Amino acid sequence: MTALQTEPTLAGATQSVPPAKKKPRLVGTTAWYVVALFICAVMVVPLLWMITIGLKSRTAVFDIPPKLLPHEWTWSNFINGPKAIHFPKLLLNSFIITGLSVIGGVLTAMMAGYALARLRFPGRKTWFYLFVGSMLLPGVVGLIPLFQMYKSIGWYDTWLPLIVPAFLGGNPLFIFLARQYFLAIPYSIDEAAKIDGAGHLRIFVSVMLPLTRPAWLTMAILAFQASWNDYLNPLVYLYSSGKWPLSVGMASFISPFAGKTPDWSYYMATNLLYMLPPLIIFFAAQRYFIQGLGALGSTNQK
Amino acid sequence: MNSVSFGGSTTRRRSRGGMSRNAGSDVKAAYLFIAPAVIGFLVFVGYPLIRSFYLALTKYNGLTDPVFVGLGNFRRLFTTDPAFWPALRATGYLVLLYVPLSLVLGLALAMFCNQRFAGVRIVRTLAYLPVVLPAVATITLWKFILDPQVGLLNTILDRLGLPTSLWLQGPSTSMPSVVMVMLWGVGGTMIIFLAALQAVPTELYEAARVDGAGAWSVFFRITLPMISPIVLLQVILQTTAALQTFNQPKILTNGGPGFSTKVLMLSIYENGFPTLGRIPQLGYASAQVWVLFVIIIAVIALTAKFSSLWTYSDSTSD
Repeated sequence: MTALQTEPTLAGATQSVPPAKKKPRLVGTTAWYVVALFICAVMVVPLLWMITIGLKSRTAVFDIPPKLLPHEWTWSNFINGPKAIHFPKLLLNSFIITGLSVIGGVLTAMMAGYALARLRFPGRKTWFYLFVGSMLLPGVVGLIPLFQMYKSIGWYDTWLPLIVPAFLGGNPLFIFLARQYFLAIPYSIDEAAKIDGAGHLRIFVSVMLPLTRPAWLTMAILAFQASWNDYLNPLVYLYSSGKWPLSVGMASFISPFAGKTPDWSYYMATNLLYMLPPLIIFFAAQRYFIQGLGALGSTNQK
Repeated sequence: MNSVSFGGSTTRRRSRGGMSRNAGSDVKAAYLFIAPAVIGFLVFVGYPLIRSFYLALTKYNGLTDPVFVGLGNFRRLFTTDPAFWPALRATGYLVLLYVPLSLVLGLALAMFCNQRFAGVRIVRTLAYLPVVLPAVATITLWKFILDPQVGLLNTILDRLGLPTSLWLQGPSTSMPSVVMVMLWGVGGTMIIFLAALQAVPTELYEAARVDGAGAWSVFFRITLPMISPIVLLQVILQTTAALQTFNQPKILTNGGPGFSTKVLMLSIYENGFPTLGRIPQLGYASAQVWVLFVIIIAVIALTAKFSSLWTYSDSTSD
């Protein structure tokens, strides 16, 4: 909260760096680095603190006054914590659900994008607008009818409600992104392939998919993030704890049961493991994150 | 905003007019390619939209058939339900706190990261980091950070000799605390603003510098007008997202203390999917969903309608 007051003015101050002469520039640079340090601290200190909690013993967490660093380093939390939360089982569940919904979401969005951008058919505009329009529909509108529908066809308490929608073009944003990307590819490529006798499936699989690699990698990352982080849907659709993904499992571990205080040091140690897959993907594929959202920014600009 | 690209595709289509003998197979192939998305649209968008509107007009517990009650649910919402107005107020308070702060902070952060300093990429990466992390992981972490007795924030404030607070457990500080946790993910707003800022032609800044414009007038006369379409997009995105906030209040406070953080989404969830032993009120929850939906549509419509007053576009002859 304290950042609110300082940042805009400082950002304004550093803006004035270019026209100024040498001495103010030094002041501006110092100010910039001070603010930069503050921003980095706000973002990183909570995470570092999480690690120190993960290393504290179970009782040391509740020491008063609290200590910033652990008195004794309890590395065993990283083994006992995941065990207490059934981490391996939840991790496997999360990987299956996320993996399948990434594949489904990206594949069907790419297919729809290909048809909308490169094939001529009646209703093409209508479908495009319907897909884009459905981006504005809040997810909550579907929650209750879909819940009842899944229940009546026996999908309640299975992973199907979390996976099948992805295979049916679940994310209209992806369809939009795919179409934008396909529009930018020269049409002479399809025509050359057609002259060589390739059908649409061949063109799509062996010509278009390699060409659109940045687009579907971006989508895959966004889909991974969305599914890995999803909390409301698994919370609503999954009843038995053996089927939960990590998001629900982790949250339930610290929700207060009658009279039992949650074990924070176990929790924080496991929390770090839960964060690792998205963290690794983020650092490995940073430019796709920026690209994907940048595309959203620039496509809407004009 | 899509009309531009449509124009482009029409001309391109015309250029390959010679391919018309393939038109028939194109249609078949096209419908095969979009079939999954079309089925998905009908099942997951079309059906629930109609069905939820119908359910909003019924009394329905999910076990027996829905009973049509007309506007009874809405009458109960607006007149007798003691929990509805507090939920609406909490939602409004959250939106009013979160949206302006998220936009101002996001833009400030984007401008801060849009400068040439060694290490700017590190700041950008770290500022975006919280967005990448699982919501449940970061929210639970913050729940502990905000713990009044053993949490990090009060520990630091105490060491610095500053006043501490009850944060999530105080009736008046609970909602600002929830918003503070949401604002930790301001990197998401920043990254879209950053893309917009980088699209502003540098000649404009150079021209302004030649004319001797100060930092403030550069910001208000060049930067802000040039990125105004993105500001509009962000207002819509952030407001609709804020109206549907669920994870943070659910995990941090579960609506408490009192009704202070019981936002509409939480109230919908509790009516539709109550804890064991209570009967779900699916019709009533659907009516709440439709109130929320109408608010969202109204926000989008009003923002879009009044956008011409303050967004910049090339076509205006100024």
